[in-house]
Amino acid sequence: MNKFDIQIREDGEHAVIETAGYLNDALGEQLAEKARELIQNGYTQLVINLEKTTLINSIGISILIEIIEALHEREGALNFCGLSATQERTFRMMALAKYAGIFPDEETAIANL
Amino acid sequence: MKDSSEPILGSDLQQTHGTQNTAEQTMERLIFSLSELEHLGQTLISGYGNFNHSSKTYLRITLGTLQVTRGVILRYHPTGQNLDVVASTPEQVFSPIPIESEEVADLLQLPFIESASPPTTLKEFFIQSAELVETIDIRLWVPLKIQDEFLGIIGLGRFLGRETLEAWEKELLTTLANQISIAIAYSQMVEGIQSEKFRLFMLAESAPQICQLLQPEDAAEQVVLQAVSFLDANAGALMLTSPEQQELELSYAFPEALVETTDLQHNGDRLIIPCGEEAPVVQDASSVEMLKSVVNDGLPGHCLPESDTLFGGKNLMAVPIPGRDGDILGVLVVGDKEERGGRIAPFTDEDVVLLDSFAKQAGVAIENAHLHQEALEARQLQAEMEEARKIQVNLIPDNLPDIPGYEVAGHYEPRGPVGGDYYDCISLPTGRWGLAIADVSGKGMQAALLMATLRAGLISELSRVENGTSEGTEKEVCPATTYAELAEMAMTLNSLLYASGTEEKYATFFYSHLNPETDVLTTLNAGHNPPLLIRKDGTSKWLGEDVGGIPLGMFPNDMVSSIAEYEAEHIELVSGDVVVYYTDGVTETVNVEDEYYEEDRLFEASKACKDGSADAIREHLHDAVMKFQGEADQFDDLTLLILKKK
Repeated sequence: MNKFDIQIREDGEHAVIETAGYLNDALGEQLAEKARELIQNGYTQLVINLEKTTLINSIGISILIEIIEALHEREGALNFCGLSATQERTFRMMALAKYAGIFPDEETAIANL
Repeated sequence: MKDSSEPILGSDLQQTHGTQNTAEQTMERLIFSLSELEHLGQTLISGYGNFNHSSKTYLRITLGTLQVTRGVILRYHPTGQNLDVVASTPEQVFSPIPIESEEVADLLQLPFIESASPPTTLKEFFIQSAELVETIDIRLWVPLKIQDEFLGIIGLGRFLGRETLEAWEKELLTTLANQISIAIAYSQMVEGIQSEKFRLFMLAESAPQICQLLQPEDAAEQVVLQAVSFLDANAGALMLTSPEQQELELSYAFPEALVETTDLQHNGDRLIIPCGEEAPVVQDASSVEMLKSVVNDGLPGHCLPESDTLFGGKNLMAVPIPGRDGDILGVLVVGDKEERGGRIAPFTDEDVVLLDSFAKQAGVAIENAHLHQEALEARQLQAEMEEARKIQVNLIPDNLPDIPGYEVAGHYEPRGPVGGDYYDCISLPTGRWGLAIADVSGKGMQAALLMATLRAGLISELSRVENGTSEGTEKEVCPATTYAELAEMAMTLNSLLYASGTEEKYATFFYSHLNPETDVLTTLNAGHNPPLLIRKDGTSKWLGEDVGGIPLGMFPNDMVSSIAEYEAEHIELVSGDVVVYYTDGVTETVNVEDEYYEEDRLFEASKACKDGSADAIREHLHDAVMKFQGEADQFDDLTLLILKKK
């Protein structure tokens, strides 16, 4: 739970960002920075895997919204995967699901970019 | 795609700059500016209202409209009293610029500030922003505000083809700044609504979830994590009170490293805070005192990081967790509420209300989990007791054997489902008999297992001491014949029981070795109630009264040797002699007047019935004890074993 980490997997036209730990301001800023780098490098199809992130606060949510917005500006797409049931309900309630896809696993999330 | 940091400039305007400015060109620029104002409005109402993201667009439009090639937008954060660079052209990362509240007040009074001639009151601001001014080449500043609220500032540099802005351009800049101010205020409002929406949703979502958790550890973890999450905190802890509410014990902490930062009392893995009225004051530990007052007063508390030794000096808020009966179950603590940019904000009154509301749900969840745990343990205990009862039933003989020339009768009456008494009559292949009676400390499975260990050890020892080997089976057992052999057997049994139990587990034990051919009864006492021998002629003796060793399993062998070694003795029985074996449940039976039955009454009752059969003596003694007990409760197991020489 306390482990704090971000892993990037780039594969041709898409990239996967996997987070671990509490998605608050600190982890969120790292995530946003990684996303910015990927977008600058031409990746507009992203998957964020939150399987190892069981805790998110409102700042983490706002950072995810920024990433969605940045991708939409470049006509890109973002899919989430590995969400707990509560996280999925939270994302739907906070309207993230309106602008990004939610899928159970990474493979499906990539396939639906 | 166009670089987001690049100013938007009308192509015609770019071509005509450097030439004489005409009314036509000015008109064209005004028309262009109007269209950009519309663009600004669209940016404001589109997307999520997130200013940090759309700030680049605002800067781009501002620079393009005014034909300026460099610029920066800084957003003010009152919590941290600093200005964050949210957009710059050229794009570059800058550190936040600290700003004093007096400087903010001055900025609210000024429509424009020239870098070349800064007001003396803003001297510190210009020192702090020197790198930014130099890098961007900022020449003109415009504060962003709505009424008396300072929201940020725009800095502009390098005006295309001119040294300064014309009056009408400054008016346009003021309009643009107002639009950007509205965007920041709108963004703040949206962020606030989103945050509140998130918090209320999480509260509504998490409360029923934690109430369904059945393990107290899971409930504690989720209570802390959910509170941390919806309060945007960076740390949290749940501390539960002891039953007497004299201590707070850490139940769960996030992050786990939080516990390591404290130098407060540790008891192994447990973090304890004394919190009763008599609890000592801990020096330089404001959070400890705050937690104590939350428990003692039942009201929320705040604690600032200064002079704090608990939780590593975090900005803390704590609320009591109420139980069903109005007791305080514990304290829920959250630490360091974060804001965007890593700033730590103070907890607000709304935060207290929210956490207090959540703590009420947490109380229900924690109590539910503990009640479930207790019910589970009760079921496990019941199952264990049933298993123990089965073990014990198998240890107590259903029917006592016929010993040639003797009558034997036994009675066993446990106080509860599983007792701690044991008696046996072991047939030895040589025609001799071993009679044993014991009282094992405790009840339940441990007592039953100790009893089983004692019986197995007894049979094994009878074999070993007579054959000089431990390989024999019960059928090969020869009788122990010497005092030394019985004493050695007792030491071995003592060692066996000592190794198999805790300090509280021991057994009083009385063993009799009967040779029916010679009518010699060799006895050994290990702390048990001395059996009563009543002769046919009415004389009597308490067996093993003077040679009784200490109970088996209480001390290791070397200590037993130094206190009182086990000794055996023997008697010869004649026709009509009776031996009454019993446990302390008989002599310590209490009547309604709180009197004990005691040895004297047992003696009198035994004397009165000594001429009857063994069965009749057993019945008489049992009836006498029951009559004495009357309506009083039975406090202990009640066991009798009668041996009578025909």
